[in-house]
Amino acid sequence: MTALAGIRVLDQTQVMAGPFCTMLLADMGADVVKIEPPGGESMRGGELELAPGVSASFLAVNRNKRGIVLDLKRPEGVAVLKKLAATADVLVENYRPGVAARLGVDYATLAAENPRLVYCSISGFGQTGPYAGRGGFDLIAQGMSGIMSATGTEGGPPVKVGVPITDLGAGLFGLVGILAALRARRVTGRGQLVDTSLFEAGLALSAWEATEYWYTGENPRPLGTAHRLNAPYQAFRARDGWFTVGAANERLWPRFAALLGLEHLVTDPRFARPAPRLRNRADLQELVEAVTTGAPRAHWLALCEEAGIPAGPIYSVPEALGDPHALARGMVQEIEHPGVGRVKALGNPVKLSRSPATLRKNAPRLGEDTDAVLREAGYTTDALEVLRAAGAVR
Amino acid sequence: MKALAGLRVIDLTQAMAAPFCTMNLADLGADVIKVEPPGEGEPTRRGSITRHGESATFLTINRGKRGLTADLKRPEGVEIVRKLARTADVFVQNYRPGVAARRGLGYEDLAAVNPRLIYCTISGFGSTGPYAARGGYDLIAQGMSGILSVTGDEDGAPAKAGVPLSDLAAGLFGVYGILVALESRERTGQGQHVDTSLLEAALALTVWESTEYWATGRAPGPLGSAHRLSAPYQALRASDGWFTVGTNSDRLFEALCRALGRPDLPRDPRFAGRVERLANRRALIPLLERTTSGAPRAHWLERLEREGVPSGPIASYAEALADPHALARGMVVDLVHPKAGPLKALGVPVKLSDTPGAVDRPAPLLGQDTAAILAELGYGAEEQQALRDRGIV
Repeated sequence: MTALAGIRVLDQTQVMAGPFCTMLLADMGADVVKIEPPGGESMRGGELELAPGVSASFLAVNRNKRGIVLDLKRPEGVAVLKKLAATADVLVENYRPGVAARLGVDYATLAAENPRLVYCSISGFGQTGPYAGRGGFDLIAQGMSGIMSATGTEGGPPVKVGVPITDLGAGLFGLVGILAALRARRVTGRGQLVDTSLFEAGLALSAWEATEYWYTGENPRPLGTAHRLNAPYQAFRARDGWFTVGAANERLWPRFAALLGLEHLVTDPRFARPAPRLRNRADLQELVEAVTTGAPRAHWLALCEEAGIPAGPIYSVPEALGDPHALARGMVQEIEHPGVGRVKALGNPVKLSRSPATLRKNAPRLGEDTDAVLREAGYTTDALEVLRAAGAVR
Repeated sequence: MKALAGLRVIDLTQAMAAPFCTMNLADLGADVIKVEPPGEGEPTRRGSITRHGESATFLTINRGKRGLTADLKRPEGVEIVRKLARTADVFVQNYRPGVAARRGLGYEDLAAVNPRLIYCTISGFGSTGPYAARGGYDLIAQGMSGILSVTGDEDGAPAKAGVPLSDLAAGLFGVYGILVALESRERTGQGQHVDTSLLEAALALTVWESTEYWATGRAPGPLGSAHRLSAPYQALRASDGWFTVGTNSDRLFEALCRALGRPDLPRDPRFAGRVERLANRRALIPLLERTTSGAPRAHWLERLEREGVPSGPIASYAEALADPHALARGMVVDLVHPKAGPLKALGVPVKLSDTPGAVDRPAPLLGQDTAAILAELGYGAEEQQALRDRGIV
């Protein structure tokens, strides 16, 4: 049995942060019903089209969900949502703050009918505070949380983290909040509002950097691939590309130096202790790369593995997804999509021994499950016809 | 009440990923008992940034926990942890795979004494698969997941995410696995093994990038601050620094052009639609920057806000942590540590209306709660003294 079987989630989310959150609930067996407007959510029209109207980006974060279409601009559509919310465990939305209230589907309204509902809002800046009303994307949050100021190379143009880390982080913190609220509900009998944002996720992911700033008074700078506090812990150039090494501690550093034939550096006052090693990182890199550029990265990685030094290649995305360990851990899955064929999908990164995540179905076609979900909620064929004729559902 | 009140977590973790996992549980109210070796404690206590001898990094991700010392190289120390595990809901460790089992603290060992226990392992590569035994750090996982290959300047040397995102994500995925397993236990009565890793966490964050590769067959590369599928969505230069703008629709692009006083640009066929703007990004950005570099970023941010265009400064940490919105959202918390004195800490990023999390106690001193926890386990005063005399606790 899946871990979250029987948990009903209403998913009023779009794009990335919210859909990623609900996808992780769906992976573990929750019945996630994605609610879309009559035209479908914006990601359905994404650039990465696999077939007419089927966007790869939409599929990537909406697998395992069911899909219904409700027009929340019509009172009949809102009434359907309220009826569904009356029996749901969780609702997740990522409108700009204020929109849900305007539509009449905010927490206060829905909790009046269903006090057990856990209602999660994921937005750019959260439901309160001076920027609550602003729109926020991952880029904006990466910039305002400080993450961009610490990413890239010293003196270079601004660089963001290549993956949308505040979207993903907000989705994960939302997920943690939802699961914690479900647990609290077992004690209190009540649901609650779970409120998080891209901006706060960006700050929360800055644990080391905030600490460095508060304790030293210095702003963390971008350092390329290097570590703020330890060396050597960075990418080095080999003859045919780059590889990473983490050999900063007093056990690993002498082994790494020996493997390079640079034993003398271990007693060199510039590199003998952690603090001078960090200070003299540029010199150290030059000395190391004088050796490492002489052989391909596979050579150095084999030597590091033999010596028990954490090291690895810098993979392109295709290499990462073709790596035997990634495959052995089930990180690459395939699933059938009607009209498209086999579609690849990322596996769930958490392995549960008894109730593991499952990949049961691909993302829904627009309105695929409207009938089934509404019938479960008690709508008769006639009632469905009326709603459809009014344009409230599809 | 906090959401996870009553949940007992045994924490045999070091460094970042797993302590971050248990810190999040502690923030939400779990009773997290950190077990450390007597004498020096876990390695992070010897961090290079200190205040009054206390390591800043240790304090940061061990707040809200209680502290116990036990020498796990000796059977009496292992026995203490086994007794604790009998009373616990969750056990988290981040040794290299195999190490805990050698000490009699593997999942099978502890499930035998407490079948309801949820046992979470967070390692570099996970408990199975060809690289299971390898050590892994955040940097290695960023490199092997492809994240390093999509971060940095378009033509520059590689750059990693400035924050250790594989560590942090592995910690968060661990929290997710633990809470999901608790939900499952409510129905089955049984605990289970939750296993995640830095590499898998990092791979799970490459949602867009893996999708792009699978859909197009092309390897995504680094784009500086730009977006893979929308333009303009990146940093722009002002006269005194940089700011970000995000537009992903014709409506927002028109609003941006109004804010910059360039209403002509949306009529230019090169920039008329989303597809055209993405294809002609290299022509578009210099045109925008010709305007934006003529005034300070505050000027542009004010106009962009008025037009409703998502935008913001590229803040240093000094700026980010003093930002009025960050403060209004409780993201900066004051704590007092018995040795290090007044400290600042990051707040809880997810707000629960009924059972909110909170940061209300600093990281424990080494062994701070040993006596209290041993007493809870039923060790009498003489027994405790004997353990102490022999250096086991």
